[in-house]
Amino acid sequence: MCVAIPARIEEITPGPLPTARLDVAGRSASCCLAYLPQAAVGDYVLVQNGFAVLLLDPLSAAESLAAFADLGLWDGLGDGLLDAPG
Amino acid sequence: MTRLVLDELLDPSEVRVVVERAADGRLTGARLSLADLPRVEPLLVGRPIARVPAFVERLCGLCPAAHHLAGVRALEALAGIGPLPPQAVAIRRLLHHASAVAAHAERAGAVGGERSALAALAGFARSTLDAVGAQSHFPTTAAPGGVRVGVSPATRDALRHAAPEALAAAHRLALDALDQSDALDQSGARGESGARGGAGDAGADPSFTGADVALVDADGRPDLLGTHLRVVAADGGVLHAAEPAARFDAVLAESRPGAPAPRPYLRALGADRGRYRVGPAAQLGVGPLTTPLAADAQARWSDGARTASAARAVMVLAAVEAIAEVLGDDDVSLPVVPGAPVDLAALAGVPAGAVGVGWVDGPRGLLVHRYVAGGDGLLRAATILTPTAQNEPWLADLLRAAVARSAAAGALERAVREADPCLPCTAAPLGTMRLTVTDARVPRGT
Repeated sequence: MCVAIPARIEEITPGPLPTARLDVAGRSASCCLAYLPQAAVGDYVLVQNGFAVLLLDPLSAAESLAAFADLGLWDGLGDGLLDAPG
Repeated sequence: MTRLVLDELLDPSEVRVVVERAADGRLTGARLSLADLPRVEPLLVGRPIARVPAFVERLCGLCPAAHHLAGVRALEALAGIGPLPPQAVAIRRLLHHASAVAAHAERAGAVGGERSALAALAGFARSTLDAVGAQSHFPTTAAPGGVRVGVSPATRDALRHAAPEALAAAHRLALDALDQSDALDQSGARGESGARGGAGDAGADPSFTGADVALVDADGRPDLLGTHLRVVAADGGVLHAAEPAARFDAVLAESRPGAPAPRPYLRALGADRGRYRVGPAAQLGVGPLTTPLAADAQARWSDGARTASAARAVMVLAAVEAIAEVLGDDDVSLPVVPGAPVDLAALAGVPAGAVGVGWVDGPRGLLVHRYVAGGDGLLRAATILTPTAQNEPWLADLLRAAVARSAAAGALERAVREADPCLPCTAAPLGTMRLTVTDARVPRGT
């Protein structure tokens, strides 16, 4: 199944393949903006396989991350592991 | 313990096409690597069943309405809830069809067409979604037994007023797509004659002999929110006329259960012969559409190149017509009865081992949620069967045909766009999809 992670764009490096520095629940990461050129700093995006694929409203992004944490799938420590129970 | 490593989800990974050759260099097959599409079921086990649909829709993120409705339907099957009140059916139909329109209209590469038509459709879909509880990206529309939102008469009237422009745009989009696929068909060399015909240069694979699988209404007519599954073979023979969701396990199975590429098949034909596809081309293949403009376009599609890109445009038209139909029905503005959706706590009473299957035909095809209850309100097991996983064998056929015709990147891109897998590359503007091709030697005897 496709798995997409919400993230906030902190900085954009323009170019033929523009990239963005992201904040993912407190952790720094990066993605490619080639498929979402309209994205701007401060926007929330859904990232799939390293590409921003969808603009997301801030509330949806926050709710998704909260749901991951609430269900125990987000360790909240920024080491980026989603763990199954047990 | 199952782990999804964040780096693996965030690090850029280009789509890999694996071309398989025998020791003598002869082409034996081609496939798209689905390694970047993990199975999430192990993450769901042990969670409260009532929360599983919301969790899956947030993990996927890209088709939240389809997962939302398939998941709620699975909960309803588990709890034995039904039939739904007409107002709930109407509002769910608005949500589902509007999300299908949005999914295609927001990706120019999916259906082609003029920017103005796509913008009009995306705007109409957005207004409809806003009206039915999907103001944020993740809908809160449905709950087991009903819906949480109503559409006021004023909002209904505003949507009714906007519908003709959206219908005209969708009609234009469908006709343009049919023109384009027919032009490609006439300009390109047709492949060997197949049961369905096909357009070699348009990306279609004339040699695909698998069945078409799609949801239908009570009369066996294609319906994106249908309750029954219809299966039609390539020669037009009906393999399953209308199977209810409870019969899912008797109709479909996975050759490799739990694998990212599970290779599902039709049980009636076995793993070797039971290939099938889902999605817009399959939806047009299982029977005549019920709405007039889309039915006319479907007839032209059936007589032409039968490309999936044109099928997507025809299904956008069908979805807009379906929305207009619902808006014409006063059920959509009936008041929502407080407490009509069942208390989710009732799901705690579902006995251990009970199975609930919910399905929808989403923008990319059949999506199935199958839940097994643990008897304590928790999930014991699940299967989330996605259109991308189901279409992987069809896409392998498309890629093999493309490689046999031409090694050009454009040919591979057209093949990938036909099956429209749920990968970022399908959002790329036409002609810019980045694919990595790797050769693999297949040992003799495999």
